[in-house]
Amino acid sequence: MSRGAGEELAGPRWREPAPAPDPHPDPNPDSDPAEPGPEERIAARRRRIAARLDAQRRQALGENEEPKEEAEEVEEERSSHKQVEESRQKLAKLLFEGTRMVTDIQVAVDLRETQRRAEQAELKLQRVEKLENEARSSADKFEEITSKWALAKDMTIPQELWQLLNQQQQLCTQLLEEKNKLIGELQQELKNKDEQYVQTIKKQSDDIHLLLERMEEQIRMMLKTYRRNIHQIEKAFELERRELLDSNRKKWEEAIQALNTKELEYLHARVRKVEEFEKQLNQLRVQDEEEYNSMKIHLESDVQNLERQLQHMKAVYLVNQEKLEYNLQVLKKQDEENTIIRSQQKRKLNRLHSLLSNLRTKLVKQEKQFREENQSLAADCERITGQCKEVQRRMRHFAASDAEKFMKIWLMNEEEAKGLMRKALDADRIIHTQQLGLPWEEPHYWFLNNVGPFRHYKAKRMATKLAAEVLTEGTSGAREKKEEKEEVGSGEGQKENPAKAGDTVTPLQNISKKTAKRILELVSDESGFLIERKLLRPLRALGKHECTLLRLDSIFSALEIDSEDDLYQLMDFFLKYKAKEEALSQSQGSPGGEDITALGEDRADGESNAQSDELKSSQGPLGSLPSVYIHADDVLKILKAFVQDFHKLSNILTRRGNLIAESAVLQQQNSELSLMLEQFIASGVNSMLLSPPVQQMDPNLPCPGEPR
Amino acid sequence: MQQAVGDGGRAVPSLRASQSRLMADSFCVHRIIEDPEWCLIAVPPLTELCLQHIVQNFTNNPVLDRLPPEDQRKVLARLPTGLPLTVTANLISDEGYWKRCCTERWQVCDISNHGGSWKRMFLERHLENILKCFVPNTTDPDRVLELIPLCRDYVRKLEVDQFLPPVKEDEKEETDDLSDSGSDLGFGEVYIHHYDLGALVPALPLLEELHLTYGVKDCGMNFEWNLFNFTYQDCCNLAAAVKMCHNLKVFKLTRSNVDDDRTRLLVRSLLDHPSLVELDLSHNLIGDKGAQAVSKLLNHSKLEILHLCNNQIRDEGAQALAQALAKNCTLTSLNLRLNHVEDKGGEAMGCALLTNTTLKSLHLGGNRLAEPTAVLFSQVLTQNSTLTCINFSCNPIGPDGGKQLLEGLRCNQTMTEFDLRLAEVGEESEYLISQMLWANRDAARLQPVLQQPAEPL
Repeated sequence: MSRGAGEELAGPRWREPAPAPDPHPDPNPDSDPAEPGPEERIAARRRRIAARLDAQRRQALGENEEPKEEAEEVEEERSSHKQVEESRQKLAKLLFEGTRMVTDIQVAVDLRETQRRAEQAELKLQRVEKLENEARSSADKFEEITSKWALAKDMTIPQELWQLLNQQQQLCTQLLEEKNKLIGELQQELKNKDEQYVQTIKKQSDDIHLLLERMEEQIRMMLKTYRRNIHQIEKAFELERRELLDSNRKKWEEAIQALNTKELEYLHARVRKVEEFEKQLNQLRVQDEEEYNSMKIHLESDVQNLERQLQHMKAVYLVNQEKLEYNLQVLKKQDEENTIIRSQQKRKLNRLHSLLSNLRTKLVKQEKQFREENQSLAADCERITGQCKEVQRRMRHFAASDAEKFMKIWLMNEEEAKGLMRKALDADRIIHTQQLGLPWEEPHYWFLNNVGPFRHYKAKRMATKLAAEVLTEGTSGAREKKEEKEEVGSGEGQKENPAKAGDTVTPLQNISKKTAKRILELVSDESGFLIERKLLRPLRALGKHECTLLRLDSIFSALEIDSEDDLYQLMDFFLKYKAKEEALSQSQGSPGGEDITALGEDRADGESNAQSDELKSSQGPLGSLPSVYIHADDVLKILKAFVQDFHKLSNILTRRGNLIAESAVLQQQNSELSLMLEQFIASGVNSMLLSPPVQQMDPNLPCPGEPR
Repeated sequence: MQQAVGDGGRAVPSLRASQSRLMADSFCVHRIIEDPEWCLIAVPPLTELCLQHIVQNFTNNPVLDRLPPEDQRKVLARLPTGLPLTVTANLISDEGYWKRCCTERWQVCDISNHGGSWKRMFLERHLENILKCFVPNTTDPDRVLELIPLCRDYVRKLEVDQFLPPVKEDEKEETDDLSDSGSDLGFGEVYIHHYDLGALVPALPLLEELHLTYGVKDCGMNFEWNLFNFTYQDCCNLAAAVKMCHNLKVFKLTRSNVDDDRTRLLVRSLLDHPSLVELDLSHNLIGDKGAQAVSKLLNHSKLEILHLCNNQIRDEGAQALAQALAKNCTLTSLNLRLNHVEDKGGEAMGCALLTNTTLKSLHLGGNRLAEPTAVLFSQVLTQNSTLTCINFSCNPIGPDGGKQLLEGLRCNQTMTEFDLRLAEVGEESEYLISQMLWANRDAARLQPVLQQPAEPL
């Protein structure tokens, strides 16, 4: 136990460097000179086998590695890595083998120990058996001896007793001898064991020495191999680096060379270019020189010419200078005159300015006055309109009360009349029936049924409307009847019927449609002067019908013919006029019966004729024509219009007269001015000036209004 | 002053503080007349002298904290290594000083075993040395106790591989029955107990690792059984001490003749320990009862690594361990080398591994396992995907068993170590298995998480 511990102790100290297994200088034979036990031999044999196997394995691995390396090379793995891997594998194997070799000793010792133990156990068993046997036999012998002691007591004969005692003694010595022998044997065994112990100690020390040797060997080998491998790896790295360097340098050099060649090319190109440029430069220089020479000659001649001209110009300049000096003198004089005139004008201007301000103040004053006036007038107007409204209101009130009164009176009178009528009718009936014996039929009077005053339902149509109707009727003759009906139906209404019935004479109905239309057309054509000029232009674009309508409209507005009645009156006037003329012509025998056209012309020329006509007609011998037909209102109207127009005309004429007088004055001024101008031109100053003001002003330009 | 110190150290005294210059000038006047080659370099600055004085009287008047860092460095560089620990232990934390101490005292210094700290290494090894040389009833126990306040803040690991037995006054005759003397003495004598750790260990609050071996080193031909006597009293003391140590993560008690009773005693004190991760009881005398006790511990602690190699565990103990293993979900490594597990125990282990999903490494070397275990383990290899390392060396598995294992390994992707040396499985199988292991290893290496192969024992 304690003996086995020696190597155990040594165990942990050497851990990492294991001895080199590769060369295998087997240190077996010298290790055990004392006892080359079977275990040792077995161990040695095993080691040899292991070494052999190892070699085989290594070979196999080496063979295996070669293709692997090739594959790696194909994969372009770095050779240094390969080397590292290889070295690692080799070293691991070495380490393993080394540790194995070192531990082999321990294992062998273990095996020996187990075997020793087994032997020891066997020996122990044997010894125990032997001891037991011996104890048994000795016990038997002792038994025998003790049994004989009892026998001895019975002995009486001394010889026999002595004999017996001798015998006993012999047996005892025998027993003792046996025991001693056993003790001796055991002691011998112990001595042997002691010897064995010494041997074992020796062997253990040898083993330990061997172990140490192997360990040292291993350490040396490992150191050596590690160093070698490091060297190899470094070499591989260096090789790789060198290769890398070489390749890089090669690349670099190639690049440099390429660069150099390129540079050279560029240089050549540059040289060529420089030469070319130089040539061009020379050429250009020669050209320029020639050009320069020619130019120089040309310019010199130019210079000579110019000098000549300069001389000339100088002469002209001198002349001009003198002229101009003279001019200056003249102008100075003129200037003086002008300053005098200007001061005069200024004075005038001031005067006019003061005048203007006076006038302005006056204007302001007047404006103020007018505004005040206006205000007072506006106030008056308001007051008057208020009064007027009041009057109107009153009037309406009175009208309403009058109407009521009238109604009442009417109703009363009607009642009375109706009563009288009835009385009269009764009397009549009585007369008829009783007195005459005639059957009496009660007459049917409408007024009997009437209640309240009669009403005139006739709505006054507008004159233009009527004219339009008449004209449309005229143009669309086919629809005449229908139109008429419609006119009667829709235009007049149902209520008009009794009024129409009552009103026996409707002026339009008296006049035929054609004549009405004709009259209207004539009026529109002939009285164009009544139409404002602005209106005439757009009328041309329109159709004939609309044109006449619009014309009529404007004419009516000018003549202030507003209502239907006015139109009828006009028609009637024309018709009656015609009738009278016809009558005159018939009576006087004069053939020149004036047409309606002539009448229209007359009217267009002046209203005075119309008036005289009217007067004539009113005072005419033909009393058949009722004077009612010519209204005083109409005459007044016409007169008013005439007077208005006359005023306008007189205004225009006076304005014209004024304008003529003004133009005469202007002409006179003009002539004066032209005279002055001529005088000015004739003074001869301008001819001396370089740019005479005459050029700006055309003296021949006719003054406005001069020729008139 | 600062500047003067900085310059003085490198002997470039071009500029000085005004005071020292004035003094120097007064000297200069005389000196220059006498010796034209003299210059200020030869004069040691006052600070230098002060520091020298501090270094010389450091034992009596340790002034370090009040010095500016520049001076501190200088003082530390000059301090002698022989200063008493009472002065230095809690005052100096400079690694350089402790490195000097270590290298002067020991030839081999592996700082990685001590967390990379020279001071920790020095104090730990100092304490270990004292414990190793401690002879009960002869050495003054205050020698240990007075160290406690000095090193309690630094010691995390104690590795004591020797405990000296007390010197016997009555010489014994060992002529007749030498074989019996060991066991007789173990119980008979009262005064042969080793040093009691119960006073030391609970006083070290940071202690995480404890490696103990109750025995004598390098006895050679002076071998006596009673040199290796781990008494029951020792065990009681140790158990009590370990129980008090709450930060303990690694506990190793090897080569100490720990038998079943003592194992049970220890396990009882270790049940439900808050931080214990690794337990090593190899090279002892643990039998089936002890193994059963340990299997009970397995499911009452956070154990991840368990070493029970070179004990006397037979199939019953192995079955108990296997049962615990089937339920366990923390253990990652189990070592049962050089026991007597045999096929019954091996089969039980195999059955447990069919359900276990945490164990990564299993060592069953030298356990007289034969073909039946191999048959079951071929099934384990196909089903289990956490195991990475199995050691079946020195077992008479035979060629048929080897073929079975080979079949099982064909379906496995995780196994990286499978030791079948001296297992009589046949060369062909061994070769093919090693090939498959290489393939698995490569696959494991290419995975993002690199799985370290378990340490081959």
